[in-house]
Amino acid sequence: MQTLVAAVPAFLASVVEFVEALTIVLAVGVTRQWRSTLIGVGGAVVALAVIVGIFGTAIVVLVPIDVLRLVVGTFLLIYGLGWLCKAMLRAAGAKAKHDEASIYQREIVRLTEEPPVPAQGMDWISFTVAFKGVLLEGLEVAFIVVTFGASAGQLGPATLGAAIAGVLVLGVGASLHRPLARVPENGLKYAVGLMLVTFGTFWAGEGIGITWPGSDAVLLVLLAAYLVLSLVGVWAIRTMLEARRAPAPARARQ
Amino acid sequence: MRYVRAFGAFWYDFLVGDRPELFVGPIVALFLAWILVRGGIEAGIVGLVLFAAVALVGAFSLYLTTRPRA
Repeated sequence: MQTLVAAVPAFLASVVEFVEALTIVLAVGVTRQWRSTLIGVGGAVVALAVIVGIFGTAIVVLVPIDVLRLVVGTFLLIYGLGWLCKAMLRAAGAKAKHDEASIYQREIVRLTEEPPVPAQGMDWISFTVAFKGVLLEGLEVAFIVVTFGASAGQLGPATLGAAIAGVLVLGVGASLHRPLARVPENGLKYAVGLMLVTFGTFWAGEGIGITWPGSDAVLLVLLAAYLVLSLVGVWAIRTMLEARRAPAPARARQ
Repeated sequence: MRYVRAFGAFWYDFLVGDRPELFVGPIVALFLAWILVRGGIEAGIVGLVLFAAVALVGAFSLYLTTRPRA
């Protein structure tokens, strides 16, 4: 159970972030130079592994579990609420959905405006854009891997979940050679947001001294309750937007 | 100094971004729940209060985002 608690959210969040990173990497590689792009990707992956290794291990070894759960739970609540609210707004139609195909096209246009690729040696623009893109998207993965892994005492499974997601997304992306626009990114973000808020509430609650009735089983209750409330929220926002868009006479009849 | 500022700006954007209520709200909710725990209120009730407070923070943020602007 604890293994899954750490691995599943890390896997799902990583799929989302790696799909976004893949879009950037493909755009840079296709438009400019693959060698420098892949060196940039490699550099970012090494940097992320060092960050997870150092911070993950330090946190697990040095910080008492109650303090860890309070701090991690608070961060997960803050971070998860952000993901969940954005996902709800997208589901309700109040915010544009994340569209990898259009992001890819925008990135291609932006990169073609850069100075040309040097005839020899390293293309530092390819390197920098790929490195920055993978590092920034990967930092969100690292954050979730370290927080979930450390709090559940399962840093290994959390890292493994993220690594499997990385291999899967990069493998499919490499074979298709185009952005993964069909991955249900918005749905995944909704699910991850719900999980982050659920575990954040649970762990932060334990951190301040709440002994949850039913222990770990209360996680399912919290998850179900947040899911129901969020669906009601999506329905309410959608209804409100439709009422606002309706022409004046139709509004008067309601 | 420039790097320190950039580092701070990165973390501010990462955690607070354009929705400060989602940063402050959960901290206030946890503080209220902590006061109830210290006051000896039953764990189940405090848990329920914490859940409701978090949901309220989310609802408030969604209201701020979707409210009609003049």
